[in-house]
Amino acid sequence: MRAALRAALITTALSALASCANAPAAPEQVAPAREPFAWELPPVVAAEKPIVDAARLHRATLANGLQVLVLEDRRLPEFSAGLVALRGAALEGSSELGLASFTAALMERGAGERDAFALAAAAEDLGADIGVSSDWDTLRASTSGLSRDFDALFELLADVVLRPRFAAADAKRAVAEQRAALAQAKDDPAALAGQHLMRALYGEHRFGSPAGGVDATVARFTAADARAFHARVVTPAGAILWATGDLDAAAFIARASLTFGAWRGAELAAAPPAPPVPAKRRVVIVDRPELGQAQIAIGHEGIARTDARRLEAQLFNTAFGNGGFSARLMARIRAAEGLTYGIGSQFSQRRAPGPFAITTFTRVPEVGKLLASTFEELERLLTDPPAGEELERARRLRTGGFPLALETSPAVLAALLDLDVYGLPRDTLDTYRARMREISEAEIAAAARDLIHPERASIVVVGPADALREQLAKYGEVEVAAP
Amino acid sequence: MHVRTIAQGLFIAAVVSVVGVASPAVAAAEGEFADPALRTKITTLTNGLTLLTLEDHATPTVSLQVWVRVGSGDESRFTGIAHLFEHMNFLSSKNLAPLGAEAYTRLVEERGGRINAYTSRDVTVYFEDVASEHLPLMIALEGERFANLLVTEQALKAERQVVIEERRLRSENDPEGLAFETLMALTYQAHPYRIPTVGWISDLEKVTAADCQAFWETYYAANNLVIAIAGDFDTDATVALVEKHFGGLRRAATIPRNPQEEPAQDGERRAVAHYPVQAPIVLAGFAAPATGHPDSDALDIAAGVLANGRTSRLYREMVFDAPLALEPQAFYWELQRAGLFMAGATLRPGVDVAKAERVLFAEIARLADEPPSPEELRRAKRTLEVSWIRGQGSAHALASRVAQDYVAFGRIEPLAEKLAAIERVTAEDVQRVVREYLAPNKRNVVHVFPQAEQEGRP
Repeated sequence: MRAALRAALITTALSALASCANAPAAPEQVAPAREPFAWELPPVVAAEKPIVDAARLHRATLANGLQVLVLEDRRLPEFSAGLVALRGAALEGSSELGLASFTAALMERGAGERDAFALAAAAEDLGADIGVSSDWDTLRASTSGLSRDFDALFELLADVVLRPRFAAADAKRAVAEQRAALAQAKDDPAALAGQHLMRALYGEHRFGSPAGGVDATVARFTAADARAFHARVVTPAGAILWATGDLDAAAFIARASLTFGAWRGAELAAAPPAPPVPAKRRVVIVDRPELGQAQIAIGHEGIARTDARRLEAQLFNTAFGNGGFSARLMARIRAAEGLTYGIGSQFSQRRAPGPFAITTFTRVPEVGKLLASTFEELERLLTDPPAGEELERARRLRTGGFPLALETSPAVLAALLDLDVYGLPRDTLDTYRARMREISEAEIAAAARDLIHPERASIVVVGPADALREQLAKYGEVEVAAP
Repeated sequence: MHVRTIAQGLFIAAVVSVVGVASPAVAAAEGEFADPALRTKITTLTNGLTLLTLEDHATPTVSLQVWVRVGSGDESRFTGIAHLFEHMNFLSSKNLAPLGAEAYTRLVEERGGRINAYTSRDVTVYFEDVASEHLPLMIALEGERFANLLVTEQALKAERQVVIEERRLRSENDPEGLAFETLMALTYQAHPYRIPTVGWISDLEKVTAADCQAFWETYYAANNLVIAIAGDFDTDATVALVEKHFGGLRRAATIPRNPQEEPAQDGERRAVAHYPVQAPIVLAGFAAPATGHPDSDALDIAAGVLANGRTSRLYREMVFDAPLALEPQAFYWELQRAGLFMAGATLRPGVDVAKAERVLFAEIARLADEPPSPEELRRAKRTLEVSWIRGQGSAHALASRVAQDYVAFGRIEPLAEKLAAIERVTAEDVQRVVREYLAPNKRNVVHVFPQAEQEGRP
């Protein structure tokens, strides 16, 4: 807009000059025309190319229900492949906290003919990776390496998915490691702040405890627990086998059919219940007397991955706290007030609604000031939601950044998998930019009103309780927790 | 043998691509591929600025990176000024001032681009990753801030606090950051690498705008810059644009550099940092050669044999056979003016640091006493080779690689050369570098544990 205005002024000046060409011009009235700066020109708009090259994308479904997704990319002699099971930590009962993570760890330690060491050696001999991980909604095994080693690595992947050994000695080691990792996480103030915020929001619901579990449950896990969880979750009825890179899709699908076609498993487990909406604000200090910098997490309930308002939420949150250095929170609290190095907000979208959270940190004496500014900005989302040029900028950030985020084939594949995991429309990657442009100011304002609730946002601060208590008192009754 | 084949393949592919009949499909079918970095064009402007362009139309994106040959290793009076200045370079400039605060980032982000920067001991790097149609604007913006930056006390005031928070986050509230900072200061006594890149708070508090201005005038000269652009663009038009926007930058007659000598170490050095951690830390460091040294690859392989993956010696001894650590690490850090070999681990809660240290040093000693087995050598080599071949999928990764090579070596090192050097390393080479660089009288040891534990020690 500014550039257009300036161009208009220059044009007016020039035409004025032309219209009185015979009159003596007063030189001080007309600045010499200069070439406009590049940033004064209107943004270049390029034709949008499709994100997914349909000729390289292949899908199949085997008779046992296993879905197969392949994205060919022959540019470099490498590939990656994996299997995503469609249930994860959210499925765990109250005595199973951390079981998905434990099962994943144990699947890596010995499968088929190989014990833990032999399995690791087989992958490392090829300079390759093979690993299993879990999150709230999935359990994932994957491998990556050079395409000439595809056959060997694909067989290792199949062993890990279909034939993990679950040896008792390895289970003991995995329990000890998971407990140590849980203890170690308490040394990280950011992790601590996150854990205590989730506890404050969700209490006894599964989301109230860390995805990796808690010491009391993990300490009791055995190989049999992992074996049972594997049988419950890793099943062709609820899994997607994927690959991308330097491979032939038809050959991969044929190979998948040969290796995984006879696989039988459980029905896909029912999705676990959604968490209750937190009723009121809690204010928690996690006492770490030695810290000079306090870690802060503020949050309330958010949305599910499939929520109809997810794009509106993404757009207003881009302007608010997830739009790089230009977002309201960064512009005010980092750039203008110098209170932090980083501040951001995020809707954690899961199969069931996850939290909306703001995370940041500042020197201990400034916590009160930072909270005041942050809550003012949170309120302002309701009274002065992103509109006009600010909204356009957020829109352009998302639409312009979209192809950049999907620059590599592994990134495109991951985005396609995510759609399948949550049952979202498969053409989403190619309709996203048009939909982002259509969202109106009124829809943004309505979504912010629906989804942002400053009055019941809980606050967790990790730092010295003695120095923090007074700074937090105005937000409600302050609870002090041990790390 | 295997590498010679690749080398030949690369050579052929490179020549063929010049005449425009390269067939990636055929190359892939033969198990070979073209090293994309070999197509980099090097242009030197009359003011001494070096431009590396790597045209690659695979995806409609481009990465622009401006590498300034200045890092914390060049600081003399105030620690942290190189990094603080990197922050200042985002604030304002003569022709952007009318657009208000944070105009650079806003102009890039509202086009969906990524903009950021980082500072190391050797370099300060500014980058933008954008859809290709925005490259001309990015070049103009970088040219503007390199020519017309405004450094004011007012801007410095807020940014100084931001940097101090960054320091607290990375070093003072992070036990591993604290251990690393302590280790660098212990290993290097004379060499400027002893200084943490983020600086000390007391120095950051005293830097003035005039100091920043002087720093800029000393180091931000055309002949101290390397610009790398990789991705989807037209080389001739882009070279012309860079000339237009950077051609007017001044050339510095001389660029001062700190002395780089480090006296030889003879005798172990130790430091303890108290921190209320659940998981104590043991970290050892050894002065090692700078990047490009003939021993670099053997040191990388030694690190791999010690700590890469579940077959590694430290994993076996500290995780699998004894529950001492979660993930032991060994790493050769190649910098331009010196290197550092690090080995250590964050320990499991309750583990005695001295006991873990004995296991760590016994494994280093064993590698000095007996060479790695053929399997160990092969695994470590394969891991390095695969890591070079992979991870070149994005414009950003390609621009980083060519700039890194050029800044370090004054040329783009072909992948085939890197792979051949790895392949040449023998088991005896690994044993020799471990004996030479990782000897007990050359080690520097840092422990991090809570105060109370120390009081109970004999």
